[in-house]
Amino acid sequence: MSLWVDKYRPRTLDDLHYHEQLSSRLRSLAASGDFPHILFYGPSGAGKKTRIMCTLRELYGPGVEKLRIDQRVFVTPSNRKLDVNVVQSNYHIELTPSDVGMYDRVVIQDILKEIAQTQQVDLNAKQRFKVVIINEADALTRDAQAALRRTMEKYMTNMRLILCANSTSKIIAPIRSRCLLVRVAAPTDEEMGKVLTHVAKKERIHLPDPASQSIIATSQGNLRKALLVFEAMRMQKPDLTGDIDVAKPDWETYCNKVADSILQEQSAQRLLDTIAERMVEKVDDQLKEQIVHWAAYYELRMRMGSKKIFHIEAFIAKVMTVYKNYMMMGLAPDLDEV
Amino acid sequence: MPPSASPAKRTTASPRKSQSSQNPGEKRKTPAKEKDKDGPPPGRDIRNFFAQPRTTAAGVGSAPAKSAASANGTGTGKRPITIDDSDEDEPIESKPPIKTENKPRASTTSKHFTSTSSSSNRPIVLDDTPSPPPKSAAKPSAPKSSSKAPAAAPSKPMPLKRKVIDSDDSDGGSRAGAGTGVRSKPNKRQSIGVGRRAVAKGKVNYLESSDEEEEEEEEEEVEVKPTVVAKGKKKEPSPMEIDDDEDDPDDFDDDDFDDEDADDLPKKSKSKTGAKPPPKPAAASGATKKSSTPKKVSAAATKKAVKEETATTPKASASSKAGGKSVQAKKEKEIDGDEADGGVKKEKQKFDWRAAAAARSAGPRAPGSKEIPEGAPNCLEGMTFVFTGELDSLGRDDAVELVKRYSGKVTGAPSGKTTFVVVGENAGASKLNKIKEKDIPTLDEDGFLNLIRTSSGPVLDEKAIKAREKEEKKIAEQAREMEKKEREGESERRRKEKALKGTGIAAKKVAPASAQLWTTKYAPTNVKEICGNKANVDRLLSWLQDWDKNYKSGFKKPGKDGMGMYRAVLISGPPGIGKTTSAHITAKLAGYSPIELNASDTRSKKLIENSTNIDNTSLDGFLHGGSLQSTTVAGVKVDSKTCLIMDEVDGMSAGDRGGVGALNVLIKKTRIPMILICNDRTLQKMKPLQSTTFNMTFRRPQPQEIRSRIMSILFKEKMKIPPNVVDELIKGTNSDIRQVLNMLSTFKLGKSEMDFDEGKQLIKINEKNTILTPFTIIDRLTHPYAFSKTNKESLNEKSELYFHDISFVPLFMQEHYLKTQPAALSSFEGQEHTMKHLERVSKAADWISDGDLIDRMIHGSEQHWSLLPLHAIASTVAPAFNIYGGMRSTGGPGGWGPSFPQWLGQNSKQGKLQRQLTDIQIRMRLRVSGSRQEIREQYMPMLASRIVLPLAKDGSEAIESTIETMDEYFLSKDDWDAFVELGVDTMNGDAILKKIPTATKTAFTRQYNKADHPIAFHKGDMFAMAKKKIADIGPAPDNDEVFEEDEPVPDDDEGANGEDEGLNDVSKDRLIKEVKKKADKAAKGKKK
Repeated sequence: MSLWVDKYRPRTLDDLHYHEQLSSRLRSLAASGDFPHILFYGPSGAGKKTRIMCTLRELYGPGVEKLRIDQRVFVTPSNRKLDVNVVQSNYHIELTPSDVGMYDRVVIQDILKEIAQTQQVDLNAKQRFKVVIINEADALTRDAQAALRRTMEKYMTNMRLILCANSTSKIIAPIRSRCLLVRVAAPTDEEMGKVLTHVAKKERIHLPDPASQSIIATSQGNLRKALLVFEAMRMQKPDLTGDIDVAKPDWETYCNKVADSILQEQSAQRLLDTIAERMVEKVDDQLKEQIVHWAAYYELRMRMGSKKIFHIEAFIAKVMTVYKNYMMMGLAPDLDEV
Repeated sequence: MPPSASPAKRTTASPRKSQSSQNPGEKRKTPAKEKDKDGPPPGRDIRNFFAQPRTTAAGVGSAPAKSAASANGTGTGKRPITIDDSDEDEPIESKPPIKTENKPRASTTSKHFTSTSSSSNRPIVLDDTPSPPPKSAAKPSAPKSSSKAPAAAPSKPMPLKRKVIDSDDSDGGSRAGAGTGVRSKPNKRQSIGVGRRAVAKGKVNYLESSDEEEEEEEEEEVEVKPTVVAKGKKKEPSPMEIDDDEDDPDDFDDDDFDDEDADDLPKKSKSKTGAKPPPKPAAASGATKKSSTPKKVSAAATKKAVKEETATTPKASASSKAGGKSVQAKKEKEIDGDEADGGVKKEKQKFDWRAAAAARSAGPRAPGSKEIPEGAPNCLEGMTFVFTGELDSLGRDDAVELVKRYSGKVTGAPSGKTTFVVVGENAGASKLNKIKEKDIPTLDEDGFLNLIRTSSGPVLDEKAIKAREKEEKKIAEQAREMEKKEREGESERRRKEKALKGTGIAAKKVAPASAQLWTTKYAPTNVKEICGNKANVDRLLSWLQDWDKNYKSGFKKPGKDGMGMYRAVLISGPPGIGKTTSAHITAKLAGYSPIELNASDTRSKKLIENSTNIDNTSLDGFLHGGSLQSTTVAGVKVDSKTCLIMDEVDGMSAGDRGGVGALNVLIKKTRIPMILICNDRTLQKMKPLQSTTFNMTFRRPQPQEIRSRIMSILFKEKMKIPPNVVDELIKGTNSDIRQVLNMLSTFKLGKSEMDFDEGKQLIKINEKNTILTPFTIIDRLTHPYAFSKTNKESLNEKSELYFHDISFVPLFMQEHYLKTQPAALSSFEGQEHTMKHLERVSKAADWISDGDLIDRMIHGSEQHWSLLPLHAIASTVAPAFNIYGGMRSTGGPGGWGPSFPQWLGQNSKQGKLQRQLTDIQIRMRLRVSGSRQEIREQYMPMLASRIVLPLAKDGSEAIESTIETMDEYFLSKDDWDAFVELGVDTMNGDAILKKIPTATKTAFTRQYNKADHPIAFHKGDMFAMAKKKIADIGPAPDNDEVFEEDEPVPDDDEGANGEDEGLNDVSKDRLIKEVKKKADKAAKGKKK
C-alpha cells in the first residue's frame, strides 16, 4: 500500500532514469575508494536523497538500506533537553540538525564528533569510513557550519560527509570548498514523462498523454509531486481521461484565498511565494513588478529575521498600500523612489 | 471652499497690517485693498486655517467646494467661520460667499446644535434666519441681506477694545462664554469676562466694572470708539471680531484677529445699529450653550429679544453693574425665547455619544497649534473650571494641568461654584444643559488661554480671601503646636537623660528631633492628627475599647457596627496612608500596649504558636528562667493589656511557612486584641483570614485632607511651596503621605522653595520607581496625544518605555499597530482616509519588520546588544509614531483596551505543529526521503486522501485501509491526530474532524488499539504507554534492553526484497516476526 513515490523509488544508480552522466560519475566515485565529502544541492523533488541512497548502496551494498531510527537526547548549555532523531544503518548516519533550531551547533559538536571519533570496527567492511548525511544543510546556522569545518578535515579517515541542501547560497564558503559540489537539477518535462510512463507501466495502467502533460505542468519539475499527483488523479478518476483538474493541496488553496482577500479588500517563505504568485496572476501588469519586488524584499527579511509573521504582515500592508494607491490614482509608485 | 477660504485668508493676513496702522478711518478704506494685497499670504493662512481644524482637506485641494463643505460639516467650528467670512466679503466678493453660506448652514445647523460647540458660531446662524434683525427681516429670503446683518454686528465690537467687550456682553455674550472677551487684552478682558459672570451670579468684585459700563455705552456709539481703541489695544478687538465673525478663535493668533477688525470696521459703518440686536440674541443663546437652532428661532422671539435689549442697554450704560445684570437678564430672556422655539428642534439637540467618544479619543484636532501662554503665578486662583468637549489644540490633560499650574481648580461637572466652563467641540449635552440652567459663563479655548495670558493675579472675592486667611492661620497654628510638641519632647528627653545620668542606667537613646526623619518627627501622635479614614479609626478605637467586654461575652454580640463578633481586625489599604500609625495610636488610646510584629520578624508557625501564647502552659519559659506569667514576643511582655499588631501580613511568605494558617488559629482563640495589617486582602493566601477577622479597608485620603497637614509641616520647616504644588505632589504620589514627606525632606536639602515645574519633576523622578506593565506602556505609546505637539515626552523618554520590558513591548506594539485609529488622519475621509491609513500601517509594519531584523542581530549569534536602543526605536517608538491614536475596539472578550499579544500563542502553536510535523516526518523517514516541508507540502495532501478523507466519506468501512496505510508509513494514532491538525483551509483539523462521525472515530480508535502496529522507533516517553498496552497481550518486554538495542525496525518488505541480510542482527528479525504474528492474530480475530 505504499504510495507510488515510495514504491518505485530507484534503489541503485542503474535504476535512475535521468541525469545518466551524474549517475556514472557517482558510480566511479564510489568505486575509486577515495570518496570525497559531497554537497548535493538542487530543488525539492529532483532526486537528491534518492541519489544519495543509491550512492551509498554502491559504496556499502544493500546493508545501507537497513535503516533504523534512533533518538538521541542531549543537553544544551542552558540545560534544556533536546531530542534529535537519527536515522542510521550500520554504515551511515543521517541527521537533521536544523530540527533543533538554534541548537544545531551543539548537535554538530557533540553527536557528529562522537560519531567521527569511533572507527569502523568491522574489518570486512567495504570502506573504512562511515558516511554522515546532513539534511537541510542550508538551514544550518552559521555557528553550526563553522563547527563543521574542522571536523570535516580532522576526521576525514573515519567519516565522510554528505550534505544535502536546496541551495548553496546559505552554506559558507569554507564548507563549499571542502566538498565536491553535485548539482541535482530538476528533471525536464520529457524526463518526467518518462518516469511517469514507467510507473504507469509497472502499475499496469494506461496514462493518456493529456493527463501526463497536466501532471507535469502542475508539478513544476518536482518529480515527487508529480508522482503524488499522478496517484491522486488515479484515485479520483481511475481511467485518467477527460479533463482532469489536478486537485491543489490544501495549503495552496489557502494561500490563494489569502491572496484573493488581500486584493479584494484593503482595509512562511513558501506562503509568501505562493501568495505573491497568486497575486501576480490577478493584478494588472503594472503592479506585477511591484509585487514580485516586495515579495522578494520581505522574503529576504523573513529569512534574516526570526519572527516571520512580522514580515508577512509588512508585505501584506505594503501590497495593500500599493494596490490601493494604484486603484485610486491609477499609477503605481516608482520602485526607485521607494 | 474657495469662497469661504478667501475671507479667512483675509482675516488672518490682515492682522499684521492692521496692527501697524490702526487708524480706523484708514481701515475702512483699506479692507478691499488689503484683501487683494494679501493675496499670497491668504493662501498660507487659509491652509493654517484649515489645518487648525485639523484636516487639510482644503489644503490638499483635492476636494473642491463640495468637499470643503463636507469637511466643514464635520467640524462645527469651521463652518461658522466660512459663513462669517462670506459676510464680510460681501462687498467685495459678492457671489461666491453667499453660496457657501447657504450650504454650510443647511448642513451644519443641526450639527451646531447637537454639538453645542463654541457659541461663536451661533450668532451667525441667527443672522441667517430671516426673522432676527429688523433689517434682515425685510429681506429674509436674500442671503446677502442676512449676511450683512451679522457682519454689521461684528464690526461694532471690533474697533475698540471696549467695544469688543461690549459686543461680548451684548452680542458676544454667547461667545463670551467662549471667553473671547476675556482673551482680548490682559486684565481688562479677563476681568470683564469675570465680571459678567460674576454679575450673573450676583457677585460684585470687579476691577473693571468701569470698563463694562463703557462698553455698554459704546455699544450704542459703536462707530465712534472703534478707531480709538483699536490703536490702543490691538488684541482686544480681534477676539471680539472673531467671535462675531464666527471664525474659530482657536485657529488664529491674536494678530490675525486684529486684522479682521480692520476689515470689519468698514462693514460696520455700513451696517446699521438695528442690525446689532440680532447678533445679541444669538450670542446669548450661544452663551447658554443651548444655542438652539438659529433658524428656528422664531421671528417673534428675536424681536422680543431685540426689544429687551434696547430696553436694557440704556440701563446698562447708567451703571456698570446694573448694566452687567441687565445684559445677563437679556440673555436669559433671549434664551427663554430660544428655548421656546427650540423645543421644536429638540431632536436636533440629540447628542451623539458615539461620535463624541470617537472625537474625544481622536484627541485635539490641531494639537499644539496655539501657543500656551505664560501667566502670572496663581492667576487662576479661586476659579473653578469645568472642561467639556474637545479643545482644538490642548488635550484635556494638558488643559487641566494648565489650570492647576495657576492654582485653579478643575471639577468634573458644572455647578453653581463653577467660574468658567471651557467648552470645546462636541461638548456633552447634559453639561451644556446644566450650564444653561445655572447660567455659568463659558469660554472657548482661546478665551481660556487668553484668560491665563491676561490675568494678572488671583481674583478673589472676600469669602475666598477669608477662607484663605483662615486656612493660613490654621496652618500656622498647627505648626506652632508641632513646634511646641517638639520642644516638649526635647525637654523631656533632656530631663530623662539628666535624671539617668548619675544612675548609670543606660537611657533609651532618642534621637533629637532635628536628626529624625520627617516621617517619624511628624508622625501623628493622636487620633486627631491622622489624615483621612476618620470613620475607620473611630471604629477601630471603639472596637478596642469594647474588646474586653466582648471577650467576656464570648464574641457573641455583634455590637452596633458588627465588630463585636471579631477577635481581630484586618486593615487593608495601599502603603503610606497611615494604617500602622492608626493601629498604634488607637491601641495606645484604648489603653493597650501595642506589640508590633512585622515582616522583619520571623513569623513562622512555630514562632507564632509559641511566642504569642498568652496563658503559657508550657514549661519552656520556666526552664529558661523566664517569667511564668507571660511570654515575650520580640522582647516585650505580653499581658492582658497588650494589643498585637501584625503588620504586613501579606508579606508572610517563604520563611514564614504556615504563618497565615497559624495566625488564623491564633486569632480564633486569642485573648488579646489583634490588628492585622496588609496591603491587599484579596490575595489567595489571605483567604483564611477573611472569615475570622473584621475587614476594614483604609482608603487613600483626599488631597485636601492631607494638604493642610503637609502645609503646616512645610510652614514649620520654613519651606515655601504653594498649595497647588503640594496638591500636585499629593496627587502624584497617590496620596501617599509618607512618600510626600520623604520627597519633601529630601528636597529641602537643596532648596526650600518649589515651583510647579519642580514639583512635577520631583513626582516624575519618584514615579520612575515603578515598572510599568506592557499594557500601560502600549497605552502610553499609542494614545491620541502620544506624539501630538502638546506632548512633552522626548524621544528618549518614549524609548525608555521600551526598556521597561524589552521582550514584551515590541510584541504588544505588533499586536496593536493595526488596532488604532491614527490621530494624524482625522482630517481625511473616505477613500483617502483608507489610503493614508494603509500607508501608515505599511510604514509601521516596515518598522516592525526592521525591528525584527535588529532583534535577530541582538539575540542571534552576533549578540549585538548595543543595538537595543535602535531596536527600541524600530520596534516600538517608530511604529507608535505612525499609528498613534484612539484604540479601536479590539473585538476580543475584553472589548476595549490593550490585549495580550497573540504572537506568543501563535508562536507556541507553530512550534507545536512543527514538532508534530517533525515527528511525522521522522516516522515516515524509513519510507520517504522528503524533509519536513516537503512532507507537508507534497505528501500530506495526498496522504490525507488516503487516511483522513475516506473516514469522512465512507465511515467505518474505510478504517481498515486507513490503518493499513498508516502502518505502512509507521504512523501511530497520535500521528494521525497531529496529521489532521496540520491541515489548513478545507482540510482544517476541526472542520475535518466534524465531518467524521463520532461513531467512526471511536471505531477507528478502538480498532487501532486492538492490533499491534509497526513502529519506526521508540521515543523515550513512549515507554510508559507502551508498557500498558503490551501488558494486555503478554509478558512485557524488558524495556531497558529494547532501549539499548536501538529499536529494531520492522521491515517486512525489505526482508522479501533483499537477500543480502547477512549483516543484519538476528534480534531485529525476530522482533519483527513477533510483531507480525501478533498483528496477524489480531487480524484473524477480527475476521472471526
